[in-house]
Amino acid sequence: MIEMIKVSKNYPPDVVALKDISISINSGEMFFVIGMSGAGKTTLLKLLCSMELPSNGLIEIGGKPIHNLKGFKLARLRQKIGVAYQDFKLLTDRTTAENIAISMEVSYKKPQMIRNRVRSLLEQLDLADKHDTITGELSRGEQQRVTLARAIANSPTMILVDEPTGNLDATTTEKVMQLLTNCNKAGATIVIATHDESIYRHTPHRIMELRKGQLHAMVGGRAS
Amino acid sequence: MSFWLTVIRQVGRNLRMTWGSQLMTLLTVSLSVLIFAFFYLIYANMLNLGDKLDDDLSLIVYLEEEPGPELQQQLRNKINTFDEVEEIRFISRAEAYQRFAKQLGKNEDVLNDMPKDFLPPSIEVIPMKNLRSLNQVKLFSAYLARLPGTLKVQYGQDWVERFYYFTKLLSIIVLLSGTLLILTTIFMVAYTIRLTILGRQAELELLKLVGATNNYIRTPFLLEGVLQGVLGSSLGIVSLYILFQWIKLRFSGPSFLNLFQFSFFSPGVGLTIICVSILLCTLGSYSTMQKFLRI
Repeated sequence: MIEMIKVSKNYPPDVVALKDISISINSGEMFFVIGMSGAGKTTLLKLLCSMELPSNGLIEIGGKPIHNLKGFKLARLRQKIGVAYQDFKLLTDRTTAENIAISMEVSYKKPQMIRNRVRSLLEQLDLADKHDTITGELSRGEQQRVTLARAIANSPTMILVDEPTGNLDATTTEKVMQLLTNCNKAGATIVIATHDESIYRHTPHRIMELRKGQLHAMVGGRAS
Repeated sequence: MSFWLTVIRQVGRNLRMTWGSQLMTLLTVSLSVLIFAFFYLIYANMLNLGDKLDDDLSLIVYLEEEPGPELQQQLRNKINTFDEVEEIRFISRAEAYQRFAKQLGKNEDVLNDMPKDFLPPSIEVIPMKNLRSLNQVKLFSAYLARLPGTLKVQYGQDWVERFYYFTKLLSIIVLLSGTLLILTTIFMVAYTIRLTILGRQAELELLKLVGATNNYIRTPFLLEGVLQGVLGSSLGIVSLYILFQWIKLRFSGPSFLNLFQFSFFSPGVGLTIICVSILLCTLGSYSTMQKFLRI
């Protein structure tokens, strides 16, 4: 379970990215964070994966505060969280397969297992023919899918996805959402930050709307 | 995949990415080790030679007149007053002549026209083994020169002094080349690791975000340093050994080198040089990681 209690994040000199956010996300829930650009969606995800620390407030995952985690414990936490970043963070001089494998290598998974998982993910995301392509040569849409594949490759218990469909057509968007739904059904908690209405319009899951860093609305509520 | 297998793969990747600078570092480390080991080898051999020469060191005190038994005893007492000596031998004019004739060997007949007492009598003083420094020998020689009836004292002053200063110069060169070894090794390895770190900044950040432990990120860089140390120093020592063997072969026969028994390091010394180089390279790698690896 993820708990955020009165969490604020300020950037110098006086930018308020998030202000007094208090939410609870259950284990195995799919949760949407929506809002316009600059609403604080990405900041919220960065706080959840401990990429940044909150200025105020408390964030707990599984009942344990994460702001004071360091070294080995922080690494273990991050291994359990898969993050698909908005700016992809791909190694553009490495192949698609190498980029996806990296998240499993840090957990010392067996090479055979890594190879199989990479092939399976590439097939699910229509990238089977890009296995050995350098990611710098892929289109934005393809890079976005590689980022997503890397985020879910290590079968994390929590998946944070930032604008997963920003560069995708309708068919690929559907495939990406199907993959995330499958992960959710397998027990992973999914937090999706998006402003693409098509992916949350008919969702039965909770949707939180942020405006200027503040919680504006919370709709839905059939938390699984 | 095991931790070490992953680390070795990372090291391989780093080496591939920065092979140019890695090669330069390897050569610099080898060259530094080679220079240091070369001078150290000469220095060690010179010290051995010095010890050998010390064993043969004797001071010859030439006398005006052949001393009678009483004077001999008096001189013996005087010499022992300065310091205990290993041996004192009185050489008469006749004995000196016989020795000289023996040294001349086949050319002995050049002495035919010479009187048998043309050589001065002398005292051969063999100092104790603890009287080894040049200053002590000089003081002893001056003392002997002041003994009554002494013409001159000889112990190969020029040669001994030159040898002494040469050894001293060598020790300074060894110290300097040792410092060069330390500086180049640490700085070159640190610089190469820094290049690797800067070239992999994006990857290191990503590794951190996907949950790589600090050891996972640091160990490959440390291992790179160790590898540079092992390969660089081994290459340096092996090159020196080959050079040494070549010189021995090339200059074998009746040459200057054959006056002395030149020998290579013992395996222990070679191993110590390699271990110290590894330590220095690891230190260079570690210092860069502390500075540039923000994890």
